[in-house]
Order: sequence, then C-alpha cells, then structure tokens
Amino acid sequence: MDVVTLASQLNAGTIIPEGIVTLTLLVVLVGDLIAGRKSASWLPYVAIVGLLGAIAALFVQWNGTSDTIAFLGAFNGDALSIVFRGIVVLSTIITVLVSISYVRQSGTSLSEFLSILLAATIGGMFLCGASELVTVFIALETLSIASYLMTGYTKGDVRSNEAALKYLLIGAASSAVFLYGASLLYGLAGGETQLDRIGIALSQIETPAIAPVVALVFVICGIAFKLSAAPFHQWTPDVYEGSPTPVVAFLSVGSKAAGFAFAVRMLVTAFGSLTEQWHFIFAALAVLSMILGNAVALAQTSMKRLLAYSSIAQAGFVLIGLIAGTESGYASVIFYLFAYLFMNLGGFACVILFSLRTGTDRISDYAGLYQKDPLLTLTLSICLLSLGGIPPFVGFFGKIYLFWAGWQAELYGLVLLGLITSVISIYYYIRVVKMMVVKEPHEMSETVKNYPEVSWNLPGMRPLQVGIVLALVATSLVGILANPPIDLAKASVQRSPILQASISPAKEVAVSRFAPVQSSEFRVQN
Amino acid sequence: MDLAHGVQLVSFGILAAIAIVAALGVVLLQNIVYSAFLLGGVFASMAGMYLLLNGDFVAAAQLIIYVGAVNVLILFGIMLVNKQQDFPAIKGMWIRKGATALVGAGLLVLLAGTIVTTPWAISTATPTGDGSTLKIGEHFFSDFLLPFELASVLLLIAMVGAIVLARREFVPEDTPTTEEELAFKLPERPRETAAIAGGSQTSPE
Amino acid sequence: MLTPLLVIPLIGAIAIVLYPDAKKSWVVATVFCLLSFGWSLYLLSQFDLSFGGLQFVEFHQWVEPLGLNYSFGVDGLSLPLLVLNSLLSAIAIHTNRKDLERSRFHDSLILLVNAGIAGALIAQNLLLFVIFYELELIPFYLMIAIWGGKNRGYASTKFLLYTAVSGLLVIAGFLGTTFLSGSPSFEIADLQVQNLDSVPKLLLLTALLLGFGIKTPLVPLHTWMPDTYVEASPATAILLGGILAKLGTYGLLRFGLQLFPDTWELIAPVLAVVGTVSVIYGAMNAIAQQDIKRMVAYSSIGHMGYILVAAAAGTELSVQGAIAQMLAHGMILALLFFLVGVVEKTTGTRDRSVLNGLMNPIRGLPLTSGLLILAGMASAGIPGLVGFTAEFVVFQGSFATFPIPTLICIISSGLTAVYFVILINRTCFGKLDNASAYYDRLEVNDRWPALVLTAIVLFLGIQPNWLLRWMEPTTTSLAIELHRPAIARVAAIDTIHQP
Repeated sequence: MDVVTLASQLNAGTIIPEGIVTLTLLVVLVGDLIAGRKSASWLPYVAIVGLLGAIAALFVQWNGTSDTIAFLGAFNGDALSIVFRGIVVLSTIITVLVSISYVRQSGTSLSEFLSILLAATIGGMFLCGASELVTVFIALETLSIASYLMTGYTKGDVRSNEAALKYLLIGAASSAVFLYGASLLYGLAGGETQLDRIGIALSQIETPAIAPVVALVFVICGIAFKLSAAPFHQWTPDVYEGSPTPVVAFLSVGSKAAGFAFAVRMLVTAFGSLTEQWHFIFAALAVLSMILGNAVALAQTSMKRLLAYSSIAQAGFVLIGLIAGTESGYASVIFYLFAYLFMNLGGFACVILFSLRTGTDRISDYAGLYQKDPLLTLTLSICLLSLGGIPPFVGFFGKIYLFWAGWQAELYGLVLLGLITSVISIYYYIRVVKMMVVKEPHEMSETVKNYPEVSWNLPGMRPLQVGIVLALVATSLVGILANPPIDLAKASVQRSPILQASISPAKEVAVSRFAPVQSSEFRVQN
Repeated sequence: MDLAHGVQLVSFGILAAIAIVAALGVVLLQNIVYSAFLLGGVFASMAGMYLLLNGDFVAAAQLIIYVGAVNVLILFGIMLVNKQQDFPAIKGMWIRKGATALVGAGLLVLLAGTIVTTPWAISTATPTGDGSTLKIGEHFFSDFLLPFELASVLLLIAMVGAIVLARREFVPEDTPTTEEELAFKLPERPRETAAIAGGSQTSPE
Repeated sequence: MLTPLLVIPLIGAIAIVLYPDAKKSWVVATVFCLLSFGWSLYLLSQFDLSFGGLQFVEFHQWVEPLGLNYSFGVDGLSLPLLVLNSLLSAIAIHTNRKDLERSRFHDSLILLVNAGIAGALIAQNLLLFVIFYELELIPFYLMIAIWGGKNRGYASTKFLLYTAVSGLLVIAGFLGTTFLSGSPSFEIADLQVQNLDSVPKLLLLTALLLGFGIKTPLVPLHTWMPDTYVEASPATAILLGGILAKLGTYGLLRFGLQLFPDTWELIAPVLAVVGTVSVIYGAMNAIAQQDIKRMVAYSSIGHMGYILVAAAAGTELSVQGAIAQMLAHGMILALLFFLVGVVEKTTGTRDRSVLNGLMNPIRGLPLTSGLLILAGMASAGIPGLVGFTAEFVVFQGSFATFPIPTLICIISSGLTAVYFVILINRTCFGKLDNASAYYDRLEVNDRWPALVLTAIVLFLGIQPNWLLRWMEPTTTSLAIELHRPAIARVAAIDTIHQP
C-alpha cells in the first residue's frame, strides 16, 4: 500500500474539528512559551476561537459528505458523533469562560490549565467517534489522564490532591477492567479490533457462551465509570468536592457526554447481539443511580457534593433513553445532554462565582443571597429548578422527552421510578433556592453579609458573566424553543447507520400528527 | 510431541510459575521494597511469555519499558519517600482479608471458566515471526494511524501535566493588596507554600 | 383570542420587576390584572351560549416530536373559572398590602400564578396542561415560604411535596392515557381513550383522581391543606383556596369525567362516598377549631366535597352545580380569607376564644364584621346569596342519582351553619374588651376588595342565571357523553320494540 492510496483511503477530513482543537492546543502552549506570563490575558480567547472553529467545522461536516468512515475504520464521523462532539466542545467553551478568573485566583498558571483542558476535549471528541478498540482506549485514556491532571491542578490544596489520587486510582482500575474486557472481545472476534466486525463475530457465536457476557460486563465497568452511574460512582462526590470547580463543570458535562457517545457506539455496534443483556445491566444501573443519587443528595450540606449526587441521578435519568433503544430514545439522550450542558454548567458557573466572592460552597452560606446578588440568585435558581424538571425550563422538556421515549418503549417501571425520584430531586434543589430567595435579611448568613460589591470589571469576570448569562438564557429559552434541537437530535439518529441498524422497526410506534379540527369534536346534537 | 514443543511447554510452566508466585508476592508481602522487586519479576516473566509467542519486539519493549523504566521508577519512588510507618492493627482485619480472598478466588474461577469454555476464534493469519517489527510499523501507519497519532497528544499532555505537578510553584504574595485580591476569596489558595514563601500570613477566611 | 390571557400577566410580571419604584408595584400589578380581567369579561361577552364545544380555538404546532402543541380553547367549564382567576388575582394583590415586604416580588409571583392557572384552564393538550399545572408549584411555594406565618417553612415544604406528587400522578396518568391507547399525540381531541380496556382505564383514572384529589383536596389526601392555608398569608390563601384548588376539581371534570366517561360512571358511587365523607369531615373539624382561619380552611374541604358528589352524579344539572359551586366557593372562600386576614391584622389574633365583640360600631370593626356575617351566611347556603344557588343546583342534580349521599350532604350543610354561627357569635358579638381593644382604623384598601366580592356574591345570588348560563351547553354535552352507553341502550331497546 503506497502513500498516495493510503492518503486517499484515510478520509482524514473527518477529523478536521479535532485537528483544529489540537492546533489550538499547540498555539496555547507555544504562545505561553513565547509571550510569558502576560499571555494569560489573551490565551483563553485563542482557545475559545479555536473551539468555535471546531464547532464551525462540525457544522460543515453535518451538511457534508456521507462518507463518514475514516482512518480505515478507526474513526466514524457519522451524525451521531458530530452531535456528541458538538456537545463536548460547547461544554469546553463554557468551561473556559468560567474558569479564567478562578484559575487566576487559585494562583496557578492558566495556559497549562487550558492546554490540559483542550487535550481532554480532544480525547472526548475522539471517544465520540472511535469505532475501533485501540482508538477507543487511547481516546479514553487521553480524556482520563487529562481529567486526572486537572483534578489535581491546584496542588496547594490538600483536597484537590486527595481528589486527584482517588480519581486516578479508581479510574486506572476501571480502565484496566475495560481493557480486560476489550482483550476478551479481541479474542472472541479472532483478532479483529473494529467494533462492527466484533459485533458480527459475536452474533455468530451460536452456543450460549459466557465469555461475551463477561466482556460486556467488563466493558460496562469502564463506561459506567465515565458516566458516574451507581455503583461505579464512588469517586464522584469526593472528586467533585475536592477538584477546582471549573474542572468539575467539565467532568460533569463534557466527560459524561463523551461517555454516553462511547456507550451508544460500543454497545450498539459491538454488542448488538447482546442487546437484552446490556439493556438489563443498564436498567439496573439506572435504577441504582436514580435512587442512590437522589436519596443521598437530600443530606448534602456542600453545594458541590449536592451537584455531584445530582449528576449521578441525572446519569440515571439519561440511561432510560439509552435503554429504550428506539429512535426517540436515542434522540432524547442527545437532547437531554444538550439541555444538561446548559443547566449544569450554569449551576457550576454560579457556584464558581459564589466561591470566588466568598470562598465557600456550603449551602447554608447561600442564605439571603437575593439581596446582594440578584443575577447569581436568579441564574442558580433557574438552573437548579431546571435540573429538577420544573417547567417551563429546558430540563422539564428534556426529562419529559426521556420519560416519553421510555414509556413508548414500555419501560413503565423505570419511567415511574424516574418520575418519583425526580419529585425527590425537586425537594433538594428547592432547598437551595429557598436558602437564597426565602431567607429574610436578618437570617442572612455571615458570608453573605460580608458579600463584596458586585463588580464585573475585574480581570476574568466578564467571561464568567458571559457564561452565566448564556446559561441563563439557554436554560430558560431552549425549552420553549425545543423544536429545533429535538429535530437535530432526531436527524442525527436517523442519519447514523449504526443506530438505524439497531432500532427494531416494531418497537417504534408510528407517531403521525395532524392538526385536529376541534370545534366539532364535542358538538352535540340536541 | 517433539523437542521444540517440549521445551516450549516446560518454559511456559516455569514462566507461569514465576509470574504467579511473584504476583502473589507483590500483593501479599508487607515490605514494599520486596513487592517492587517482585513486580519486576512479573514483568520479566511476561516478557518471556511474549518471546514464547514469537513476539520478539513486544518482549523487548516489555523489558525496556516495564522492567527498565516503570519498575525502576517505582523503586526510586520508594527510596525517595523512605518513610517507615507501622500501620495500627485494624480490628477484624481477617474478615476483610477473607472477603477479598473470596472475591478474588471467585473472579479467578469465573475467568478461568470463561477461558476454558469459550470457543475462541483463532486468527488464521500466519505468524510473522522475525518480521514483527516491520508488521507493527505497517500497522502504525495504516489502520492504527489514528491511535498512534492520538497517542502523541496523550504523551504531550502527560508531559505537560507531569511538569505542572512537579515544578516548584511561583507563589505570589499572599497579602491582599489590589482591589482584585480583596474581592476574591478562593479556598484553593496555596496556603502552606504561601506561608513558606511570604512569611507568616493569616489566611483570608 | 386566548393568548392575551397568558401574555398580559406574563408581561405584567416582568414589567413589575423592571418598574423602578418598588412601593408602587401594586399599581402596575393592578393595571395588568384589570387588563386580564377585562379581557376575560370580553371573552365572556363574545362567548356563544348556544354551543357546547370549544370556542376561541387556537392551534399552532410547537414541539412536534413530543406531541406538544400550542393548543388552546375554552368552553363553559373553563371560561367562568378564567374570570374568577383574574378577579381573585386582583383581589389578592390588594389583600393585606400595608407594610408588605418585597412587594415587587410578591406581585410578580401573583401575576405568574395568574398566567399559569389561566394556561392550565385553556390548555387543550395534555402536556401543555401539565406544564401550566406544574408552573404554579414554585411561585406558590415561594409565596408561602416568604410571606407565610410562623410555621411557614414546614407548611411550604409540605405543600411542595404534596403538589409535586400530585403533578407526578397526573403526568403518569397522561403518559399512560396517551400511549396505552395508541393516540397520535397529546391533543385532547386526538386521544383515543375508547381503545383502552377497562382495567387500564380504571388504573389511569385512579392515578388522575389521586393527582387531582391532592390538589382539590379530598379526604384523605387533604392533610397538607389546613397547614398550608393557615400558614399562608391572606393573599396566598385566597389564591390557593379560591382558584388553585379549583384546578383540581377542574381536572377531575375535564380529564376524569370527560375522558373516561364509562369508567367514571363505574366508580361514581365510590366518589360520591368520598365526597360525602369530605363534607362531614370538613364540617366536623371546622366545628372543633379554635383558630378561625383553620375553621375556614376546614370549611373548604367540606365545600369541595359537594363538588365531588355533584361530579360523581354526572347528570346535566349536577355537573352544572359542580361548576357553579366552584365559582361560588371560590368567591366566598376568598371573601372569608380576606376578612379573617383583616381581623387577624387588626386584632393580632385568630383565636376565637380571645376575639370578642368586633361588631362594636365605634371601636370594633363594624364593616368587616358585617361582611363576615354575610360571607358566613353565603357559605352556609342561606338563600339569596350565591352559595345557596350553587348548593341547591348540586343537591337537586345529584339527588336522583345518589339520594343517600345527597341527603347526608344536605344535613351536613346544616353543620356549616353551626360552625359559622359559632364563629360569628364568638368574634362579632359579645362585649368588646375595653382594656385592649383600640384597633386602628381600617384603610380603604382593607375595605373595597371585600365590598367588591360581597357585591358579586349578592348579585349572583339574586340573579343566578348569570352564574349558570355559561355552563349550560357544555354540561349538557358532558352529561350526554357520560350517559351515552345508557342512552344507546335505551335507543337499542326502542328500536327493538318498534316494529
């Protein structure tokens, strides 16, 4: 195979978005080397411009060619991967916006933080489209190692060190288990590493063998760790509490979205013949996550821990859409992650701002905040209520779509459990809202009494403000204007061959809509 | 069974025995230095296994990277820390140990059963033998090109991260002087290092 | 035609927040409330009385993949409630206004609630209804938690949990109704409930009954209600009891009776018993209370029981009575809560054993006491006031179907008179304590809302046709829907007998 034919077969145009992010990473690194400490003032914007460029490239690809298989099957840039990559990049953009002043204030250097964050983004993006075991593993490790590094980034803080160590150990263990599962797959498929071929090989095993199921369980260990679905969630609260808050924001959205993309691709392509089994395992994970996440969140006193348990619970909700396995099921996963992007990052942006101004994240310290900082109170309230699924915010629409898809796929038990646990979740979200909004001036916490004058002119604060306002607007309006994103999600599912192959036509209820002529419906002839 | 097969079988037995015994030693021995050296033994016997499978390049890489680099690094780490600490005895430790052993044994039985009962699809490609380096190179530049290139990003960022974690931090004066510093109170401010660098400072909280 | 009912209060809610002078926020709020009230009156004038179906229909596609459409329409069931909603919002804004803290937020929330309830009443799409139904949750929670009494934390949380569970049951019921029947979307007009078997129908109806029953509230799902009503500020209590509770009964009629007519008929006897138990329980508990606000709260349970009995009976007249009772009770309860609020604010207590002699024309509260007596009479169903009209229609309509429950209800309405006599006797009559009773003069703001409400209560009592005419066509069609199987049977027998 000579170079020319190889180059033509690679179809390298599919990874242009990743290429742009990689280039940005290099610019950030080298720019910092050349310009020194002063570069901190413009580097974040370089990163944002680069990420926006990646979004533009993704957009071009969305309208582009149908030939999506690249690198001889190592990467599949289909519509599904484009949407998930878009979510990952968007989460990075918002994370960059909210992290600038935080990183400055923590006394660490910004450019390295940005480059590690960009590397994590690259890993996440590749993970969204990787369709070959080696690529999957390398992408997973790029994402994971960058995440470990960011978790321990504020090394002067003991809690950050502890979080990084815990995350590293548990993450390495789950990677190892995943790798063992991958090696079993390699053996079962007779030396194939591409997911679709593994899928074919697995479907040809006739006698009921235990090895595919063991491989499935091991692979799911790796996936569930990324999703922080119970019982693979033990790292979540400690890591969320200890790490720098912008990192947590990225972990809770970007990393999780990449994990979901990975889960969909891996399970649908490679384990297509074991659909019942993985549905069963994921149903168990969803039940555990919803119950445990929501129940334990009730007792939290730290805002970051609260959001950690809430993110476990949210993963449980999203799993319902995955288990549904229908077109609307997958579309609801995508739409919910899109919604989750804004509401969760908005919540974290507010937590960042509050901890910047007061140095604490205890829930009781938020008491009476409405008097000092209305914008923060409004945004945090709306984001939390949206996470709890209160209309008319985007979270409600996302959740109702998930439950709708689940109910349509006859997952009555899961949907009912989801409904019940989301009522529980309303309780703990509203506890924070109550703390901020309801408390009278004389019940105000000491922290809020000493709250500094709200000023957005300090360095790094404008981007934070932009991030907060962006999340606020998106959380309040995307729900009302939910049609375009849902259409996008549906289109991405329809245009992805791997999903179309897995969706059994019998399951999808034909939903046709027509404008009803109502005025004559109830007419009564007397 | 001809001689070659016999030799292979015997070497496999020896290597496997070394690997298992050394691995048990890594886990069970109390002295961490012994564990570290035994880990080297595990790695070396794995390299032997690769040799038995005709994977000469992989065996060499295993020796150079794991035994030569990783294991030595671990030993350096142990020597640099050099802290003798006796852990207080935990009550009912035997229950935990027993449970761990039980789980481990269960996993072993499960995996062994899996391996024995599964109809493995053996690859029909002919073994490459001496040409494995060539073959690996070809793979790196054809169907494994993407992971190969991605690994460079991974290594780059691992290096950056290692430097960030290892370097001595430049700690700014902790006294809040500017308006900006007065307005912000971040808990993650490196207090310990600040105390060393800037004299005694009360933390902002 | 219907969109302004949503848009006016929403714009108002935003305008209040942006309005610079916090002290004058009530002006803005009043303007928008009156606009919304005026619009609902205009709709009333345009309403075609000869037609029982939906009017002023608006339909736009919204979130198409979810089957959620922007689909509005009113009929004789929802239109009167819409008018009541706007009226009570205006009253609530002027209730207990003096020294109101955070008044901007307060008024803004009231307008939000107004928009939410209006949306729920006009929504013709199940999901759309859920959105508006859940929309009330947070504003009410905040209103109870911020402006409530001593125990407001407890009361607001209890309210939140019960209401959230109610929303949950309603959502589950709606999802089930749509998917189990294979309906193409959540449009009420598209639902194909007839495809369902009787067992799923029964289960779904039970879920909806429990969901709306919590909101109404019906015994035994009522335990949140006395605490909430008592702890809430008078303005909140007016909205809670006057209109939010009506959303529960509205849901029962709209989604219980209208969607599942045959199952409704099947379980109607059970509902009648539940309603009767509510009536007796409410009355008995009201007699036992020391706190006059709690007394009013328990009286509300009793009156909601009438509505259930009437709805269960399902005759044309009884359904009409149910709607009339919703309106009448909404106004009377609002009046009672308003007056009790005035009494509490002026005297500083709600304990009926402490209160005494408020009728004293010089140092007491003669006007408030007079209106309180009138409101009590209206609530007890004294002829000439709106309460009588509604209860009379309820009893007359239900008697044919459920004679014994209706009789028990009639007897219990005598108990209503008992506790109102107790209440009025203790608070209004007797000798005013000379030592402590030097009450402030009432302000204009403490009088006119009560006077307006009283005028309406009186007027509709004298001219009941104005109350009942709006719902007649709708109830006729509802009742026919309900008894269609029976009518079909009769028709079949007729055709057999006719050679």
